[in-house]
Amino acid sequence: MKGYLLKNYGLNKSPLAPSRLTLGLKRVIKNPMYYFIIFGIIMLIIGNLSVKKVLPYSLSTGLATTFAYSIASVGFCLLMGYSGLASLGTGGFIGIGTYSIYYVMTVANLPFIFALVAAVGIAVVIGAIVGFISLRIEGIYLCILTLGLSEILRNLFVVLQDTIISSKFYLFGNSVQRSSGIFIVTVALVIVMIITQNIINSPTGRAMLAMKNSTSAAQAMGVSLMKYRLTAFIICTVYASLTGIMLMIVIRAAQASNSAGFYALITSLNILAAVIIGGYRSVWGAVFGTFIMYGLQTVLLSRVQFFVDNPVVITFISGILVILVVMFYPGGAAQLVREAKNGIKKLIRKIKECRYGKDI
Amino acid sequence: MAYFLNNLFIVILPICITVIVTLAITVIFKTSYTTNFAQGVISAFGAYVAAKCLNSAGLSIWLAVPIGAVAAMAIAIFVDVVIFRRGRYVNGLGKQIITMGLISIIVGATPLIFGAQTPKFGKFVEGNQSFTVGGEQVTVTNNALVCLGITIAIVVLIFVLLRYSKWGLSVRATASNEYVAEMVGINTHIVTAISWGLAGALGAFAAAMAASNSTEISHVYIMTNYQVNAFLAGILGGFATFYGPVVAAILIPLASSLITWFGNTVGIPSLSGWAMVIVYALSLIAIFFKPQGLFGKRTVKKV
Repeated sequence: MKGYLLKNYGLNKSPLAPSRLTLGLKRVIKNPMYYFIIFGIIMLIIGNLSVKKVLPYSLSTGLATTFAYSIASVGFCLLMGYSGLASLGTGGFIGIGTYSIYYVMTVANLPFIFALVAAVGIAVVIGAIVGFISLRIEGIYLCILTLGLSEILRNLFVVLQDTIISSKFYLFGNSVQRSSGIFIVTVALVIVMIITQNIINSPTGRAMLAMKNSTSAAQAMGVSLMKYRLTAFIICTVYASLTGIMLMIVIRAAQASNSAGFYALITSLNILAAVIIGGYRSVWGAVFGTFIMYGLQTVLLSRVQFFVDNPVVITFISGILVILVVMFYPGGAAQLVREAKNGIKKLIRKIKECRYGKDI
Repeated sequence: MAYFLNNLFIVILPICITVIVTLAITVIFKTSYTTNFAQGVISAFGAYVAAKCLNSAGLSIWLAVPIGAVAAMAIAIFVDVVIFRRGRYVNGLGKQIITMGLISIIVGATPLIFGAQTPKFGKFVEGNQSFTVGGEQVTVTNNALVCLGITIAIVVLIFVLLRYSKWGLSVRATASNEYVAEMVGINTHIVTAISWGLAGALGAFAAAMAASNSTEISHVYIMTNYQVNAFLAGILGGFATFYGPVVAAILIPLASSLITWFGNTVGIPSLSGWAMVIVYALSLIAIFFKPQGLFGKRTVKKV
């Protein structure tokens, strides 16, 4: 009884024992969601300063584009890193979002929520179709098949309406300027990151990982391939269509027949490269990789005169970077951070050993 | 009838280009076990070199295109020897991503080397052939006929080499199993290097044909659409054989042209816009029911 009291009411609280407040803080800090929210707040502040021209304005456009594409990357990270499936359909899936927001908001003049519902609904259907296909066809073949599906969508867009422009965007009845798009995109990205992290840590994430390592073993353990492949593809497609919506909020125009545009093969490949550079099993890595592919040029390198004169050099360097990462450092940036963390821990331990002697 | 023939003659050039690109992609797929996404831009690079020879050095197109092909071949061999040989045991997805990194490199390097403006490109032969069928004019460009001739020559040559030459035997052995091929004494390094070189050269010819159709190289992504069709043709025909993808590569542009013709005959001209959508959808349905492809062989997978 005495022990129970001591333990639970802190009767024998020693001066070294952590207080309830620090324990609570520690629990908050250990939670990965905390970092996502902090990240979101910091980015909102930076965006605000940038929109008010305290920081350079190009910062906000660069970050907004990066975050928009990051949503698709995070979905792709879940698909590739956790389910072991690869798709090259991201470009076409992005188109679902852009066209539903265009048709619902600009043509039909309905509120934003309908566009969201339409985009998610169509994305779920298309994701389910790809998921069913993935049950029969695997590997590189699946990649090319999704590429074919993406081309179907792109051709469909060209036939429907090649160039779409939606100059006005309303949220809850208020007109949203193009420059304030960064706030919406940041909030969306943070929500997506939190949802994805929860999926990864849930039984669904573990089932996906089992499925990635061996389909036969996973089936033997009672993991339904159909259920989780469908889930993975649906999540990836929905995220990609969300990216389309966000790009439409940030950029406001798209052309389907442009061979370097949103829906082209190059977008799907860039997202794939972003996930690889970042380390394909990390949500943070996906965002970082997307920043390298899409944001670096606008945010940082446009300050350097050399890169302003030769913008193609950046494309060149990013290509070399991708190849080097794949060949020599397959874990990507996430692994780099992990190793750096371990290195610092080791260093601290060594310093302690030097000062206080070896702990036996 | 005349309208049908005209439609058919327009599609000759796309068929030739798709067939050659498909052949290049199939050769690389069989020897390196990866889909080469950089095929299109390597080809475009070859065409840029050819255009440079054509415009600056004033060479004839019959000399310029082979020079471009040699340049594309050199790049492709360089890629295989320097990058792929070191990353030999990188998995399939890794190889795909390496080829996509190559896209960025070449897309970045092309304007640095050749300047930003779009280079002009000539036709192989000027002029038309026209004759009357049932009282109506039917026209076919000489350029398309020459390209058809080149394509048939290339395809026949490659298939004969594959079937009867020692190189063909070693390619087929490497394609069926790289490790066993190495064990029986085939130098798979040389086989893959030659295959890459061949694919680069073929790609340059295809890009030159595509450029000759539109009198200029509009941008470095000129081959992307053909490349996407070629991938789909590879899957549709089945990568298990060499002839399957080639047959599918003929079918895809042909089917699209037939749909356009059908739409105009029945009285739905808007069908031409939907032609590619319908062809892709039909291909996907075919692949869904025959995952090994139309000419594929069923493989048994061990657990």
